Amino acid sequence: MNEQISSWFLRRKWLLVAAGLPILIAAWWAFRPEKLWINQKVNEAAPFVSTGDPQPLYTGRLQGRAHPTSGRATIYKSGDGRQYLRLTDFATSNGPDVHVVLAQSTDQNLKQDIVKGQLDSVELGPLKGNMGDQNYDLSGSVDLGKYNAVVIYCERFHAVFGFANLEQF
Amino acid sequence: MVGKIRIAAALAAVTLALGLQAFAQDSMNHDGMKHEGQAQTLETGTFHGKVHSTSGRATIYQEEGGKLILRLTNFKTSNGPDVHVILVAAKDADDDANFLKSDTQRVELGKLKGNEGDQNYEVPAGTDLSRFQTVSIYCERFNANFGAAPLEKF
Repeated sequence: MNEQISSWFLRRKWLLVAAGLPILIAAWWAFRPEKLWINQKVNEAAPFVSTGDPQPLYTGRLQGRAHPTSGRATIYKSGDGRQYLRLTDFATSNGPDVHVVLAQSTDQNLKQDIVKGQLDSVELGPLKGNMGDQNYDLSGSVDLGKYNAVVIYCERFHAVFGFANLEQF
Repeated sequence: MVGKIRIAAALAAVTLALGLQAFAQDSMNHDGMKHEGQAQTLETGTFHGKVHSTSGRATIYQEEGGKLILRLTNFKTSNGPDVHVILVAAKDADDDANFLKSDTQRVELGKLKGNEGDQNYEVPAGTDLSRFQTVSIYCERFNANFGAAPLEKF
C-alpha cells in the first residue's frame, strides 16, 4: 500500500515536472527576469562630426509670467571654450529696461509675476530685441549648476516677463 | 658645383610644390568633411517614465542628405524583453500606455540597443514629424510604454 502511494507520487512528480517545465520556460521567455539585474550599456558617437561647432550644453522652453513669452533658450559652448546663451523662435512683449538674466530655477520669486525685493541673478545684458534669434555672452565664472534658469526680467518694475528652466542637453 | 646647386634648387622647388599641393588637398578634404558632417537639430525633448524609471534626452537631427536621426543621450531605462524605440502620433504618452488598445499610430525605429547610454536610430524616410511628436520606449511583448519624450522644436 505504502509503496503504491509513493510510486504514484513518483509518477505524478514526473508529470508535474513535465507539465511545469514548459510553463517555466515560457514565463522566463516572456518576462526575462534576469534583465532586471543586467544592464546593456551602449555609447554611440553622434551621427556627425561636430568637434569645431558650438555644442549645446543646456536647453529649455521659455514660458510667460507677467507677459506672454515663448521660444527656446540654449546654452552653447563654442570650439574655443566660450559659453553663450542663444534665444531662438523668441518672442516676448516689449518693455522698459528689460534684461536677460540667469537665476535659480528653485527661486520662489520666479513663481510670481513681480519680484519682491531683489532677484538673486547673474546679468547677461539688456534684451537686444523682443523678437528673434539672439546671443548673449556668458562670463566664464557663471555656475550653471546653480543659475539654471533664464529669466526675461524688467529691472524697473521687477517684473518676470518669462523664464525657462534649463535642462542638460 | 653650380650644376649641383641648380639640381638641389630644382629638387627643393619640386618638393615645395608637392608639399603645397598636399597641403591644399588636405585643407580641401577637411573642409569637405566638415560640410558632410554637419547636421541640423530639429526637435528635442526629455523622457519621463516612473513605472520603469526612464530618463534622458531624445533629439532629432537632420543630416545634410536629408536623413533623419533620432539620438538618445544621458539615456537610462529599465532593461526588459522585446523593447523597441518607436515614434507615436500623439502629443505625449502616459506611463504604461498601451498603443495597441488606444489604436495610436506608430513608426518603428528598431530594437532598443541598450538600456543605458548614447545611441542613434534612423527615422524612416517620409516620417511626418508634425504628426509623430513623441518618442516612446515601448515593450512590444506586453504593449507597455516604458517612457515617453514629447518632442518640441529646437
